[in-house]
Amino acid sequence: MRHLSRTVRAAAVAALLVLLSCSMVLAVDCFQCHDGSDYRKKVNHQPAAQGDCLSCHSPHVARYSGLLQQSVKDLCLTCHVDTAVGGDRQRIHQPVRSGDCLACHSPHAADYAGLLKEQPVNTCLGCHKELPHSYPNTHEPYRSGNCQACHQPHQSDHAYLLVKAADELCLTCHRPAEVVNKHPGFPTPPANCSSCHHPHGSERKGLIRNQLHTAYAKGCADCHVGSRPVGMDACLGCHPQVAQEMASSHNHLVRYGANGCTACHSPHAGDDERLLKGTERHVCGECHEATFVRHENAAFSHERTDRCSDCHASHGSNHPAMMRGPINEVCGDCHGNHATFSHPIGADVFDPRTGQMMTCGSCHATKGSDYEYHTPFSGKRALCVQCHANY
Amino acid sequence: MKQRLTSIGIALVALVLLLPVAASAQSPWQWQQSLKVEQVGDSMYMPSAVAFDAAGERYYVVDTGRNRLVSFDREGRIIRAFTADDQLRSPFDMVRLTSGQLWVVEKGGNSLTLIDPAARLLETHQLLDGSRRVFPDRIAVQGQQLFVLDRAGGEVLRLGADLKVVQRFSCNSCNGGISDFVLAEDGLLALAGRDRKLLRFAADGSLQRTMELGPEVDFAVSVAIGPSGFIYVLDRHQNSVLVYDEAGRFRYRFLTTGHSTGRLYFARQVRFDPWGNLCVVDEGNGRVEIFSR
Repeated sequence: MRHLSRTVRAAAVAALLVLLSCSMVLAVDCFQCHDGSDYRKKVNHQPAAQGDCLSCHSPHVARYSGLLQQSVKDLCLTCHVDTAVGGDRQRIHQPVRSGDCLACHSPHAADYAGLLKEQPVNTCLGCHKELPHSYPNTHEPYRSGNCQACHQPHQSDHAYLLVKAADELCLTCHRPAEVVNKHPGFPTPPANCSSCHHPHGSERKGLIRNQLHTAYAKGCADCHVGSRPVGMDACLGCHPQVAQEMASSHNHLVRYGANGCTACHSPHAGDDERLLKGTERHVCGECHEATFVRHENAAFSHERTDRCSDCHASHGSNHPAMMRGPINEVCGDCHGNHATFSHPIGADVFDPRTGQMMTCGSCHATKGSDYEYHTPFSGKRALCVQCHANY
Repeated sequence: MKQRLTSIGIALVALVLLLPVAASAQSPWQWQQSLKVEQVGDSMYMPSAVAFDAAGERYYVVDTGRNRLVSFDREGRIIRAFTADDQLRSPFDMVRLTSGQLWVVEKGGNSLTLIDPAARLLETHQLLDGSRRVFPDRIAVQGQQLFVLDRAGGEVLRLGADLKVVQRFSCNSCNGGISDFVLAEDGLLALAGRDRKLLRFAADGSLQRTMELGPEVDFAVSVAIGPSGFIYVLDRHQNSVLVYDEAGRFRYRFLTTGHSTGRLYFARQVRFDPWGNLCVVDEGNGRVEIFSR
């Protein structure tokens, strides 16, 4: 019995040695063809550094490009569980949502922390081309390219993927007492910093946003009386056109503190004459984030535009989906030629299922679908037989 | 062995028998009829609300896009299309009083409009809450009491006979305010869509209970209470009705996107008629879909 046990132990040790040598052979084999120096830089991905190529790749055949065992997203998340998309209300960076990890990261080795392909700031600006490299007056973290001082790269609970709630974030560096001292005469403690200040930079000192509200440029008294909240009526009194637009069956009258206008607009300063509190992607996304996600995740969807106002009336309209005009006209502004060869649409053509006028929306889902040309059903047959059942 | 086979047989039979029950438990609602205008070129356009006359056994549909109110009998036959001599401007919601008078929310004039069809009378009222302008959105009536949702204020206002605010139902902890409400015997149930909350108010305006809606909700726009006390939430973007029990626990969902009968396309309001049927105002398809159990 003792003899048998010794034999088993010897066999186990031998098997272990064989396995170890096999894995070494495999690693050596990979680097006999693949130049090992390509896989070793300042920062190395642990599996690559250890020669554990097979943790990600299949040596012979694979369903995925690069002989990967799984899709890039699934493969990365096998180990990087903390990056997995989770939580219902979280903001998720678009490349993370679409599983495009390699948009920012190198899989094997890189010269930058986090296996970033480029310097962090260049990684960010590579996609965010709308952002300038500097401003006449630039916020220090932005000037030094330290995007991660304020933004999370993968996901966050806050708009703009901020690491904290906006005001709380500002007060991390700007001491509250200092902020109060710099805002003499404020009737209430200063808050909502980005309402007046651009977090990246500005042409104005103090990072005040470039475009001032006319009333604000003159002083405070045009709108403010003591510390009383300024209501929506004050805004609509000077902007009767907006009041008219709001008097629509679909409108953006919302409650937002004492003044619904400030849900989208800064009362003091903005980046253009609309004085929006940010880009439309973010201002509209405050309430319609799920719509953006649906659009971005769809297999086929309308060419991506972050300018919602290209198609929608921001304040209100009497058209479906708060379009800025009849849907066929709005679509026709860009797709004018389509009317010359498409299925009949317009005031004299009716959807037999509903009696409603045929529109572009009868056959296209602008926020995307699983089918080419973002039709709600396959355009090969299923779409047509919705109405033409006898064909 | 024989005993085991018998047990498996019983289990299979039970499974076959119970499957239809389980399936119907998922979707107990059956399409019954549509309220729509069949005449080609005159179909309802962007309807936004449905109202009822229990005694007269009528439905009223607010046909916003065509500036009219369309009445139907209980079988869905059109009785009349009423335009108040073409004076209505984007009517959005309405209630019918026992006197036969109508209160109509007109978005086009930001007014609460009293219409007496028999007397051919139409009075528009711009409401004020103190010095602040009110933007009427949804409306309900209970006895002589008129309740109006102020969209900009995000709160429900109970109005006195002089249309002054005598009571308010508000959620101070909500960011987006109330987006729809229905009256209950003991108060009011409100939907705070942006905050994904259901709010139960007592008749005195005090907030009794807050129920969080879960991730199953995308864009909730309307709420109704069923005869059994279950809560029905309409999700405009999913074109679904989500059903919750009285404690706010999600139970099931039904309906989906489309243009065919029984499907929804940018639905706008959900209500129960006096006969226990579920009515969904389907804006995009220009009709009201009625479902029964």
